[in-house]
This record gives sequence, C-alpha cells and structure tokens, in this order.
Amino acid sequence: MIEQRAAEHAERELHARSDFHRVWLALLLVGAFAAILVLGVIGLPRESAALPAVARHAMEIALPRWGQTEVVSAIIYGARGFDTFGETFLLLAAVVSVVTLSRAREPRHEYVGEASAGQAEQEQLGHKSSEDESSEDEQEHEAREAEEDEEDDDSSDGPADPDRIGLGARAPERARAMSVVVRVGARAAAVVLAVCGIYLATWGYTPGGGFPAGAAVSGVVLLLYAALGHRAVRAAVRPGVLEPIELVGATVIIVVGVLGLVLTGSLFANFLPLAQPQTILAGGVQQIYSFAELIEVATGLTIAIFSLLGMRREWSGDDEDDASEDDTGDAS
Amino acid sequence: MIVVNYVGAVVLFCVGLFGVLARRNLIKIIMGLSVMEAATYLLLVSLAYHGGSTAPVLTQPPHGMTRAQVVHGNVADPVLQNFCLTAIVIGVAVTAVFLTVAVRVGQHYRSMDADDVKALHG
Amino acid sequence: MNIQPLLPLPVVLPIAGAVTAPLLSRWHRRLPLIVAIITMLAAMGVLAVIARQVYGGSGHLVSEYLSGEHPFSGKALGIALVAGPFGMAFALLTATLGLLLLVSALSELGDLGQRELGVLACLMQLLLAALIGSALTADTVNLFVWFEVAALASYGLTGFFLEQPTALEAAFKVLVLTSIAGFLVFMGSAILYRAAGGLNLGQLHHAAALMNGTPGQVGVGLLLAGFATKAGLVPFHTWLPDAHAQGPSAVSALFSALMVDLGIVAIARISLQMLGAEEGRHALVLLTWAGMVSALLGALMALVQDDLKRLLAWDTVSQCGVLVVGFASAKAEGVAGAVYHLLNHGLFKALLFLCAGAILHATGTARLSEMGGLARRRPFITAGFTVGALAISGVPPLNGFASLGLIHKGIEDDPVIHVLAIVAQIITVAALGRATYLGFYRRRQQPYEHLAPSHAGMRFSLVALGAGCAAFGALPGVLIDHVAAPAASILLHPGTFAEGTLKGAAVVPKLTVSFSYTSVSDLIMSAVEIVLGGLLALLVVRHGEPRPVTWIRRLHSGSVNDYVAFAVVGMIVYCGALLG
Repeated sequence: MIEQRAAEHAERELHARSDFHRVWLALLLVGAFAAILVLGVIGLPRESAALPAVARHAMEIALPRWGQTEVVSAIIYGARGFDTFGETFLLLAAVVSVVTLSRAREPRHEYVGEASAGQAEQEQLGHKSSEDESSEDEQEHEAREAEEDEEDDDSSDGPADPDRIGLGARAPERARAMSVVVRVGARAAAVVLAVCGIYLATWGYTPGGGFPAGAAVSGVVLLLYAALGHRAVRAAVRPGVLEPIELVGATVIIVVGVLGLVLTGSLFANFLPLAQPQTILAGGVQQIYSFAELIEVATGLTIAIFSLLGMRREWSGDDEDDASEDDTGDAS
Repeated sequence: MIVVNYVGAVVLFCVGLFGVLARRNLIKIIMGLSVMEAATYLLLVSLAYHGGSTAPVLTQPPHGMTRAQVVHGNVADPVLQNFCLTAIVIGVAVTAVFLTVAVRVGQHYRSMDADDVKALHG
Repeated sequence: MNIQPLLPLPVVLPIAGAVTAPLLSRWHRRLPLIVAIITMLAAMGVLAVIARQVYGGSGHLVSEYLSGEHPFSGKALGIALVAGPFGMAFALLTATLGLLLLVSALSELGDLGQRELGVLACLMQLLLAALIGSALTADTVNLFVWFEVAALASYGLTGFFLEQPTALEAAFKVLVLTSIAGFLVFMGSAILYRAAGGLNLGQLHHAAALMNGTPGQVGVGLLLAGFATKAGLVPFHTWLPDAHAQGPSAVSALFSALMVDLGIVAIARISLQMLGAEEGRHALVLLTWAGMVSALLGALMALVQDDLKRLLAWDTVSQCGVLVVGFASAKAEGVAGAVYHLLNHGLFKALLFLCAGAILHATGTARLSEMGGLARRRPFITAGFTVGALAISGVPPLNGFASLGLIHKGIEDDPVIHVLAIVAQIITVAALGRATYLGFYRRRQQPYEHLAPSHAGMRFSLVALGAGCAAFGALPGVLIDHVAAPAASILLHPGTFAEGTLKGAAVVPKLTVSFSYTSVSDLIMSAVEIVLGGLLALLVVRHGEPRPVTWIRRLHSGSVNDYVAFAVVGMIVYCGALLG
C-alpha cells in the first residue's frame, strides 16, 4: 500500500516535468486528419464559381420583401428567423447552465442520496491528496493561502482607489477601484461605447444587429466593473435585476414569432408595414426582433460573467459550515 | 487563391486539435478548442468569398454601380455569413460554460491537470 | 383542417415554459416544474392533432416553411419543418416521455432548493424543445442549431449535483467531445452547402450527385462523425457512460432515452433521406460496422460494471449500435424494426434509469456491490427494473421481442452481421441479468443506513412506463402497420420525402412489413439467447470479469486527451471509409 503510494508519487513527479501527453500520437493523428481535410477542401468550388441560387434569391428578396438594405440581417431576422430563435435560446441555455454550475448552496429539506454519494466521493479525493508528499502539498498550501487572502480582501477596508494610498507606503495595492485617470476615462468611454452599441442595433444595420450590439453593451458593463470596482456596479448587476430583463427580451421574441403565426399564418413572418429602408423602423418586425435580441444578449452575457466571478467554494467541502446546512438525514 | 485560406483554416483547426490532444492542462484544452472554433469561422468566411466580390450590402453600392447591379452582380455569399454568426454566438456560449466547469473541477480536484481528473474510468 | 401552421408550436411551447421557469421559482419552488408539465401536455396535444393527419392511411408528409419563405424552383432559402411518419414518431416519443420524466422529477426532487428547481425546469424544457425541433426540421443549419441547444442544456444538467466531483468531471468530458462534434457538424454542413448549393434536405437529395466528389464525401463524413458523437457510436462514445450516470435520474433517463436519439435520427436522415440507398452505400456499410462494434463493445462493458447507472449507460451505447445497424440495413424489416426499437428503447431505458435513480436517491448508493436485498425492501422499484430488464432481453410478451426480431430479420442477408448481432444480444441479456440479480434479488443481511421512501409521482411514472412496455409488446401489429412501416417507407423513399418537403405535401407509398408473433424460429432464437445470456451472467458473477474485457476497460483510461484521440481516430476512419 505504501509502496503503491510512493510509486504513484514518483510517476506524478515524472509527469510534472512534461506538460504534454503522448505527443507522437497526437502528431500522427493530427497529420492524418489534416491530410483528409485538405483533400476535401481542395476540391471545393473556387472563387470563380457562381453564387448558389439560394444566396442569389436572398439578395433579390432583401429589399422588396424584407425592406432592408443589409442582406445578412434580412436573412438572420427575416428569412431564417427560426434559426435565430434557436440561437437566442441557445444563449439562454448557456446562461442558465452557467448559473446552474455557479449557484450558491441552498439547504435541502429531505434526504438526497446524491448528496451523501457526493460527500463520499469528496472524501475519497481528499484522502488521496492528503497522503501525498512535499511538492503537491506545497502547491496546494500556497493556493489555499491565496484563496484566504482574497476572501480577507473582500471584507477588509482597503483604500477606495490607488490614489489614496499614502506616498512611500510599501503595501501592495489593494484598492477597490482604479486610479482617477482610469475612472474618468472609463466613464467617458462607457457612455460613448454604450451609445455606439445601441446605435449598431438601431441605425447601423450591422450584419447581426442585436448580437454584436449586445456584446458591446455587455463589454461596457465590464469596463465599468474593472475601472470602478465591484461596489459601484453591484446594484446593477445583481441576478435579481438582470434576470427579469433578460426574460422580458426572450418573451418579446416569442411574442413576435407567435403574432406572426397568428396574423399571417407563418411563424416569424413579417406582419408590420415595411417602412422606408435605412430608417429606424425599416424592416417591420425585424427591428423589434433585433432590439429584443440586444437586450437578451447583453443581460445574458453580463449574468454569465458575474455568476462566474461570484462563484464560491461551498460545494467542495472546504468550509466547515457546509455540513450543518445540509440536512442529510438524522443519523449524522 | 482562396485555396490558401481553406488550407490555412484546416491547418489552424489541426493546431487547435493538437492542443486538445496533447496538452494536459484543462485551460489549455479550452484554449485549443477556441483555436479550433476560430479556424471554422475562417473556413466559413473563406467559403463565402467569390473572386472580386463586394459585400452583400445594398446600403451604399460601390462607385459606379446601382443597387440592382449589386443584387445581380458579384457578391459574397450572405447565407454562409449568417451561418458563421450563428456559430460565433455558439462559441461564446460554450466557452462561458467551459470556464465555469473548469473552475468547479479545480475546486474539487485541486488540480488543473487532466491526469488528476480521472475518477471515472473503465 | 390545415395543420401546417401548427408545426412550430410543439417547439415554441416548451421554450415559452423555459423562459418563465427561473422567475417562477421565486413564488413557489415547484411552480416551474408544474408549468413545464403543462407546456409538455400542450405540446403533446398539438402533436396528437398533427399525428392524426400524418398517420392516416399509409402515411402523409406535410411541410411548412417559416417566415413565409417558400421554395422557388426546387430550391429553398427558408427553413422547412416537415411532419412525416418518422419525425413525428420521435417527436411524440419525446413529448410523452418528457411528460412522464417531468412528473417523476417533480415528485422526486420537489424538495430541492428554489434556485435549483428553477434552473432544472428551464434546462429540461429547453432540451425537450430542442429534441422536438430536431425531429421536425428538414434543414441542415437548423438541425445544427437544435443540436447545439440540446448540447448546452445537457452540459448544465450533467453537472447539476455540484457536490459530486464526478459530475463535474463528466461535464468537462462531455463538453470537450460534444464541442468537437459541433465543429464537425458545422464544417460538414458548410462544405455540403458549397459543394451542393443548399441547406434544405429535400434540395440536397436532388443534388446528391453533386456530393459524390471528394468535398461532398468529406462533408458527409464530418456530418456523420459529428452526429455519431451525439448518438454514442464507437469510437465517439467515451463521454456517454460518464455523463449519463450523473445528474438526477429523470435527467439521466432523458439523456439515454431521448438525447441519443437526436444523433440517431440525424444519421438516419442523412444516410437514407438525403443520400439515398444508392448514393449512400459507402455510408451505409460504414454505419453497419460502426453500429455492430458499438453493440458488442457496449454490451461487453455493461457486463462488468459495478455502478448501476454506468452499466445502463453502456447498455445505451450497445442499443444505439443496434439501432444504427437496423437503419443502415436499408431493408424494410430492418428499418421498420429500428424505428420500433427507437420507441421501445425510449420506454425501457427510461424505466430502468428511473429505477436506478430512485435507488440512488433513496439509499445514497447505486453500486451493485453495495446494493442487494431490494426485492424485499422496495418491491415496486424491483418490479419496475425487472420489467425493463426483461424488455431489453427480448422476452416475448414485452416490447423488445418484436423490435429486435424485426431488426434481426432485416440483417439476415449478411451472415457475419447477423451472428454478431445475436452475440451482442446474448451479452446484453447477461449484463442486465447480472445487474438485476446483484442489485435487487441477492440476499442482503445488514439493513440500509438510509432508505428514504419513494413518492407518488415516481411510482406513477414507473407504472406508466412499465405499462407502455407491455402495451408496445402486446400490440406489435398495430404499431408496425401504422407507425413503423410508414416511417420506414418515408426513409426508404427519399424521392417522396424530397418532393413533399419542396412542394408542401406528399403521400407516403405503402410498405408492408410483416411480423408474426408465433413464428417458431423467432421464439426459439429468443429462448436460446436468454438461456445463453443467463449462463454467461452466472459465469461472470462467479468468476469475475473476463481478461479481454479488462483490457478494453483499461483503454477507457478516463483521460480527456485519450478520449479525444479516440474521437480523432473515428473522424479519420469515417471520412476515410467514405473516400475509399
């Protein structure tokens, strides 16, 4: 038993020197696969081939049927609107998956077998690592110390920004926000970027409309978070605030589709009058779709990012008060 | 010479695939998958290109052409560009979930090495 | 009555339910799952209305183009939803099983935290909506979108119990492998579009000659490899045992009974409806062998597993192999048997997983070595598991007998494949027999530490599924004539499918598939398989695992890099087989 552990440890030391795993096999497989793909790709029609009929048709109907001068947007929100519908809920599935995986621990009111199975598995893992010698332990020790420091930071009264640390102080910067130059710049940039982002969805007729605009708006929130610190944006990025907004965006999309079904007999068909192209209401239903998409993508991405940032460690058995929260039967 | 783009996309895909196959750090595996993603976007946008084509946009036709000429003329493929946008959104979504899972795995197994994350085998 | 506008509703309804789920959980923790049950009932209702028209006579095909984008001169830009006998069978299975699984989840997990239940309901509904969407769509890009929605929902559901480290490990592995599959499907669809000029399956069928060159074959190979990952075919199967054993039992049942069908339905559509039996003959040979290897490998690995849910997941790998072999036979009996087996597999696999999950939830363990003695303590769950095991083994009054018999009839022209299929069935019987004995019927002296009671909703689902197994087994004539044969017909007549997709409606040609319950050779074959399987199970229980199986187990090392290496080998073999 002890020899087995020593042998495993020695093997792991050997491994620790190389970050690679069977390089020769990987090169062989990748080479063979590359050869097949290159064979396939070389035979494809070259740039002199004609545009497929389907694409030509899309070009022809963009202006007369969908009233838009941006053909790719006319396809996304118009001709193939059902794909975008699937896309939206794909993003929702991803955001909800991230929320599921980063959720806080809630007390359960009944015996749940999976919880005790999980505890057994964790003990198995913990048992293994605690038997290992020096190097693993040191690395883990450092990691745990760093985690504790980080936790202390949150509750301690660090300076509000680096400009307030006294001259000549030797302590490392633990400010909650960035210096005044960055904060002023970020505030100015955020306004400009937010307007640009929303402009993209309403007037710019970018290919994709709401998608890149949503990503831009989400980027603005991140910029403000990085520059101004968590406390400044905490009120705005709470899940309780963002989730209803995201769900409103998603509901508007469903309603638009179903209204198309009810009023014209085909899901996501256009039922509003087509305004002049290149005006804010051009494309009828598509502008509403694009704007709802903007809301949904922006809030969804922000929820995902802040859930990821706010993950705690209560599931992995490191905190002592886990056991008391979980009512795993009366025997324990 | 668009074939250069195609082959380049395939090579980039295989570079990413090599990263996923040969690297043991979980974060590097995720990076390898991101590189593969980017390679597929490159392939798709290259597939959409036709020799000497203009963008499939009718907002301001290039100098000397009317809108009708753009519609019936040499234009890049908008359907494949739509497909590419779909895939970009998918890539963002999957990367977010990936990183969350990687953090949780790190919390449980106390290691980012794929060889330590082998409790399920056989 | 014009049913075409109704076609997208079974997809939109569960999605609308999913949207409301995270917020509803704040009012009352069970509300999201209750709303989910209501939306699934509504979706089932709509599907039933559509089914009446689709399954009348020898079968009809109805197609609807969304956003008002109708096809022009045989080509289509818009997205087509097609309700045919094949797609509707899968959609109805999804809606019905989804409903039963949601009821079971509500009753078993009703005391979880508020947030947990909200996100569980949301993800389950998105997954079910994506499966129904993939059943009804006839467009490669739309199929890819629903594939990805199902994948993303499955990632969150796999890692649901965050206190289990293995759940997160499984989530990582399924993420890596399914992402690669997504890239393959993506590239394959794009290459096919460029080579053949279309995204609509009907249009691609007419352009099948254009796909004969190297790019087209590589594109088809990539598509098949991508969907094979979802279906769990060898060598892309490595994520499946890990991921299907995690998560709540209703979720595991959802994965094994329904999500793998997404891959299988897509493979059947691509090889039979898009390519057709002549153009796709290389693909069909490839799929036959891939399916056969999966069937054998899955059964062998299931024979030696200790964890009950993992054993059932390996059996899923095996059954998916059998399904693909049935589809790839391209004969009326084989394809009809495969469609019938798809429905049956959904029923008995869900039943088995719900039983296994109930045991895990009640006792905290699902390992065969730690279980036992449940026949006395939990007779209801034991009965359910026994019914499921008998159904897989192909015991006559239950449903496995008819469907497996039809598949074997379809492949009897090829003696090698036929013999291998019989061997795989024997090993499957042994695996399930061993599991039933060790887990339930073996005597156990010491009492269990925890033995939480099972709830009414769980029992209801178990009874419903068991009754389904019995009913599908007792009425094979009805099912074969009205469901399996029209589905097989539309798969084997791709021209009719293409015409119906592009023109809006078509009548499915009549296909006669006969199955006789009292055929002596079938009954003898079934009896022989069961006896030999029982003997094999006894041998394994007495003497432990056989040496070759240990070697295969060691191959599945658990390292992500190794699993990806297998997948790349698979990609090379699939594309190479189509090019050669």
